[in-house]
Amino acid sequence: MIKFSNVSLVYPNSTTTVIEDLTLEIAEGELVLVIGPTGSGKSSLLRLINGLVPHHTGGILAGDISVDGVSTSSVKPGALAHVIGIVGQNPANGFVADTVEEELVFGMEALNLSNDVMRKRVEETLDLLSLVPLRNRALTSLSGGEQQRVAIASALVAHPKVLVLDEPTSALDPIAAEEVLSILHRLVHDLSLTVVIAEHKLERVIQFADRIVQINGSGNASVGTPEEILMYSTIVPPIVELARAIGLEEIGVSVREMRRMTQNLRDSFDIEVKETTRHSNDVIVDIADLTIAYQGKKALNTLTVKIYDNEIVAIMGRNGAGKSSLLRAIAGVSENSSGYVKIHGVDSQTLQRKIRRQTVGYIPQEPSDLLYGQSVQKECDQADSDNDIQPGTTFEILQKLIPGISEHVHPRDLSEGQRLGLALSVVLSSNPQLLVLDEPTRGLDYQAKRVLTKILIDFARVFNRSVVIATHDVELVAELASRTIFIADGDIVADGPTVDVLLSSPAFAPQVSKIMAPQPWLTVADVVAAIESQK
Amino acid sequence: MKRLSLHPLTWWIFSAAIAIAVSRVNSTWFALVAVGAMAIIVFSQKDSAPWSKSFGWSLKLAMWVIAIRAVVGVVIGVPIPGTVIFHIPILKLPHWMPGIRIGGDVTRERLFSSISEGIIICAIFVIFAAAASLTSPHRLLRVLPVYMYEFGVTVVIATSVLPQLVSAVSRIRMAARLRGQQTSGVRAFKRIAIPLLEESLARCLDLAAAMDSRGYGVSKKRSRYRPIQWKFIDSAVIAMGLLVLGLA
Repeated sequence: MIKFSNVSLVYPNSTTTVIEDLTLEIAEGELVLVIGPTGSGKSSLLRLINGLVPHHTGGILAGDISVDGVSTSSVKPGALAHVIGIVGQNPANGFVADTVEEELVFGMEALNLSNDVMRKRVEETLDLLSLVPLRNRALTSLSGGEQQRVAIASALVAHPKVLVLDEPTSALDPIAAEEVLSILHRLVHDLSLTVVIAEHKLERVIQFADRIVQINGSGNASVGTPEEILMYSTIVPPIVELARAIGLEEIGVSVREMRRMTQNLRDSFDIEVKETTRHSNDVIVDIADLTIAYQGKKALNTLTVKIYDNEIVAIMGRNGAGKSSLLRAIAGVSENSSGYVKIHGVDSQTLQRKIRRQTVGYIPQEPSDLLYGQSVQKECDQADSDNDIQPGTTFEILQKLIPGISEHVHPRDLSEGQRLGLALSVVLSSNPQLLVLDEPTRGLDYQAKRVLTKILIDFARVFNRSVVIATHDVELVAELASRTIFIADGDIVADGPTVDVLLSSPAFAPQVSKIMAPQPWLTVADVVAAIESQK
Repeated sequence: MKRLSLHPLTWWIFSAAIAIAVSRVNSTWFALVAVGAMAIIVFSQKDSAPWSKSFGWSLKLAMWVIAIRAVVGVVIGVPIPGTVIFHIPILKLPHWMPGIRIGGDVTRERLFSSISEGIIICAIFVIFAAAASLTSPHRLLRVLPVYMYEFGVTVVIATSVLPQLVSAVSRIRMAARLRGQQTSGVRAFKRIAIPLLEESLARCLDLAAAMDSRGYGVSKKRSRYRPIQWKFIDSAVIAMGLLVLGLA
C-alpha cells in the first residue's frame, strides 16, 4: 500500500539528513508505529506519505514514495485526499468548519462527491466513532478526546485506504486514549485500513502495533516487529524495561503476555502491604471552598484541600475535569467565584513581581509561552537580571538540567524537551517555594521524561520544596508523585498516596502494576527493590 | 430578538449597500446613525462565535483611527480659516519641501473637518466589520465558487486563526504575569508579540496543510452537503439596504 524506495530527506538550511536511504513497504491492513526521540523526524516521515513534505515544507527528497500506486512526487497532497487521511498533532489546529457535521463533509465537498453518497457516509462515520450526539455541536465546545475523534472521523469519511496519525493520544487522558486506539484497532481489522501512527507513549499503543519503524535522528531507521525492535531499542515502554530488569529471555508487549511470563516470579512473593509515608505537617498551599465558573459552568466546585511541604502531588482526571483550572488558581491567575488559595498564608491572587516569582513557579501547558527571548542566552540573561542574581546562574541551571544546549539557539528551534528544560530553569532561577507544572510530558520522549522526573524529585527532596503537577501520564505519576488527587467534574473524588489511588482504578493503573497485581508495585524500580530485598 | 438564520451573503450585501450610502451622503450624522443602526443589529443578532467579536474590535480600532487622524489633520494640513482655538508654532521646513506646513493656527473648523472625515471613513469599515461579525466565515466560504480558492484559504485561515490568537494573547499574558513581569507597556508588548507571531505563523501553516491534504481546491466543482437556501427574509433584508441606498 505504501512504498518507500531509497528515500532520503534533507530540509533546506539544515546540515543533517532527516531520513537516509529508507526502504520500507507497508502492506494493506497493517498498523505501523513510528518511534524515535523528539525531533528525530517522525512527523516528517508521516507527512512524506501524503506529500505534505516536501510540497508544503520545502526540502530535498531523493528516492520515491508511492501510495496505492501513485507516486507522491508527481501529484499535490490534495490529489491524494481520497487515498490518505491525515490527522495532525493538534487536531484543533486543522479544523476548518464550525460544527462537527460541517467539518466531516468539508473534505467530501471538496472532492465533489454527490449528495446521497455524502449523507450515507456521514451517518456511517458518525456511528462508527460514536459522534451522533455531537453532530451539531460547535467544534470549539468539544473536549480534547472528542476533538480527536472528530478529526479521525473527518479523515475517515472520505474512505481513505491509509490513515496517518501524529501523536493521536498525547493530549488525551488514559480512557479517551484507549477509546481512540480501540477504534483504530477495529478499523484495521474490520476494514483492513492501513494505519501509520507516531507516538511517544509506547505503553498505550504497543499492543496494537504490527510493526515498528524506529528513527534514531541521524537519518537511520530500522524496521521490524515490536519484539525485534524493542529487544535492543533504547526507547522502550515500562513493560519492556520490566522484562529486562527481571532478566526475561523474551519480551512481551501486552500485559497478558507479561503476566504469563512472570507467573512464577509473582508466586514467589507474599503480598506486600505498602506502608504509607507520612507527610510533613507544614501546610504550604491551603485551598478552601474554591469555586471557579466559566460562563455559568462550574470548573471547580467548592474544593478544599491542603498541600504540605516537600510533597509531590499529581492532579489527575479526565480531559476537562478542572485540572488546569485548579493549577491556575494555585498560581493565582484565575478568577475565583468564591473561596481562596493561600500559599504560606498569603492569598495567591495578591502576589506580585519578585515575591510572586519566589513563591510560585508555574510552567504552562505550552512552555514556550514563558519564553520571548531571541536566543537561549538572552532568555537566561533576562532571568538573571529579573532576579538580581549572578549573571550566568540560569544558564548554569540549564546546563545541569539538559547538558549541551548551545546558548545561541533560538528557543523555537529547541526540541520539545529542551524547551521545557529552558522554561524550567528560568522558573527555577528565582528559587520558588512551590513548583506548578501543567501537563509537562506532552511530546516528551522517555529520555526527556527521565530527566524531568529526576529534576522534580531533587527539587522536592533536596531543597525541601513542593511540586504540583497535572498530567495524564500515569507512568510519570507512578515514578514521581507521593500523593495523587483525582478530580472529576470539579470535585475531588480521590485523594491519597499514589499507590492507593492508582491501584484502585484499572484505567489509571500503570503497566507494571497491571502485570504485578495484586502486588502494590508501580514501577520497575519497585519490582527490582522487592527482588533485592527477597535475596 | 430572535436570531435570524440568513444566507451568508445577505449581511455582506446589506452592509455594502449601507456603506455606499454613507459615502454618497457624506454626512457625519448619517454615518453615525448608520453605525448605530448596525450596532443594534449586531447586538440583537450576534451569538458567542469567535468572529462576532470583530464588531467590537472594529469600534475600538475606529476610535484610534479618528484620534490619530484628528491629530495629524490638525498638525499637518491645509489651514482652514475660522475661530482659532490655539496656536502651534510653525515648523521651519527646508526649501525643497514647499507646500507642506507643520503647525500653525488650529481652528475649530479645521479640527471638526478632520474629525468628521475620520468618522465617515471609519463608519464604512465598521459597517463591514458588522457584516463579518454577523456571518460565519466558514458558511460564507461554502457559498463562494471554487475559483476563489486562494481567497477561500485566506478567509479560513484568517477567521480560524484570529480567534485562536485572541485566546493565545490571554494565555501568553498570563504566562508573563506568572513570570512576575509587566503585562502592559511597550516592553510587555514585545514580550507578547514575539511568541504570538511565531505561534500564529505555525498555526496558519498547520491549517493550510490540513486544508490541502483534505483535497481543498483539487476538484473544479464542489458539491454541497446541505445547500444553503436563499429565503424570503434574505431578499427582504437586502431590499431594506437597497432602499436606504436609493433614498441616499
